[in-house]
Amino acid sequence: MLSPRLGLRLLERPSRVEAALWRRLRLEHEDKCREALFELYFPLARAIAAREFRGRPCNGMERRDFEQLACSGLLEAIDHFDPLRGAPFQSYAKHRIRGAIADGAIMASEAGAQHHHRRRMEAERLQSIRPEVDSGEVDFVSQVADIAAALALGMIAESAKHNHAPMIAGLGYQSLAWRDLELSVLREIDRLPEPEKYIMQQHYLNGLAFTQIAKLLGLSKGRISQLHRAAIQRLRERIKYSE
Amino acid sequence: MTNLCDDSVLLSLVQEMQAGSPDGLARIDALLAQHPEDARLHFMRGSLLVGAGRLIEGYDGLKRAVALAPEFAIARFQLGFFQLTSGEAEAALETWGRLDRLPDGHYLREFVDGLRCLIRDDFLGTMVHLRAGIARNTENPPQNGDMQLIIDQCEAIIAKADADGDSAVSETSLILQRFTRPKEVH
Repeated sequence: MLSPRLGLRLLERPSRVEAALWRRLRLEHEDKCREALFELYFPLARAIAAREFRGRPCNGMERRDFEQLACSGLLEAIDHFDPLRGAPFQSYAKHRIRGAIADGAIMASEAGAQHHHRRRMEAERLQSIRPEVDSGEVDFVSQVADIAAALALGMIAESAKHNHAPMIAGLGYQSLAWRDLELSVLREIDRLPEPEKYIMQQHYLNGLAFTQIAKLLGLSKGRISQLHRAAIQRLRERIKYSE
Repeated sequence: MTNLCDDSVLLSLVQEMQAGSPDGLARIDALLAQHPEDARLHFMRGSLLVGAGRLIEGYDGLKRAVALAPEFAIARFQLGFFQLTSGEAEAALETWGRLDRLPDGHYLREFVDGLRCLIRDDFLGTMVHLRAGIARNTENPPQNGDMQLIIDQCEAIIAKADADGDSAVSETSLILQRFTRPKEVH
């Protein structure tokens, strides 16, 4: 079968498509083009992060931390680039991304920045899924169960990205069952309404912190936290009924 | 339109640009300072900038030309084509809407109908309309080359799908042979 939109793709020229995104972002103030530009250059940011990770002293940082810094550099580059100056964005972004990684690496403490980032992401998640204070009767056991289920869903989504099934090699059936679970979580994330789907994908699959997603979407960090909570609840419901 | 640039000045400008004059943009800008409402100058400026890779400014030039002279058919077609190649198919369709007022069989209408077919992945329709447009276009021959490239790409897609055994496209290919190739004598 021919792939859909093949006719359109015959004509689309990447340089023009990108120029249209910049025009709409800068001159027509279409904020969603920022996301599209981020998606377009995300592979570049990751590639630079990988190169820098191999070529720099890590100071206890993991590759994932380099990717985080690269994403921040990319976001800054998108915000500061002037498309009318004529220079290609890629050269400009490379410089900013490398700069962000260099700055981040200098600032990284010996204790390891990855722990800091990881803790921050986990704290954000916990904050987001924590039950709201209610004056009524509190069922602590069910609250703890709710939190555990929500954290587990996040853990499965994160693990699905890396396909951790081989970690339990030797337990063939369990590995398959785990992979099935991962895939069903990924499928359900894909079915979420926007912007919940976008937030879940950026947070769990691309490893972006809530602050960075908030910047991308032009929303407050608190709002991202609310949407994350709603997405987790929706995922729980859907996975429960699909069993 | 008011305060338009003299036709003879415009013609000499076009000839200079075709001869590869490097200061074409500066001359257009100077003329635009005197005739800011001349859609033809904006169109030329837009086309020149697009050719130079200054795509955002080029788009602005084409857009201004169409805004100043909504009936300027070639500028409207080129603006829509630029939008289509920029991934803005909906905007292109909107831009081209007014070209439906051109007389039946006008080459630009055929080109637009062909490109509308392409948006729907109707490769046969694309080829039929673009060929008809090329046959009727004596006004702007370079455009025929662009359209022929699209026809060639459609042919390649159909041939490949045919070779891959895509039944839907094979059917299209059969119809296409009837339209485009002489019957073989066995």
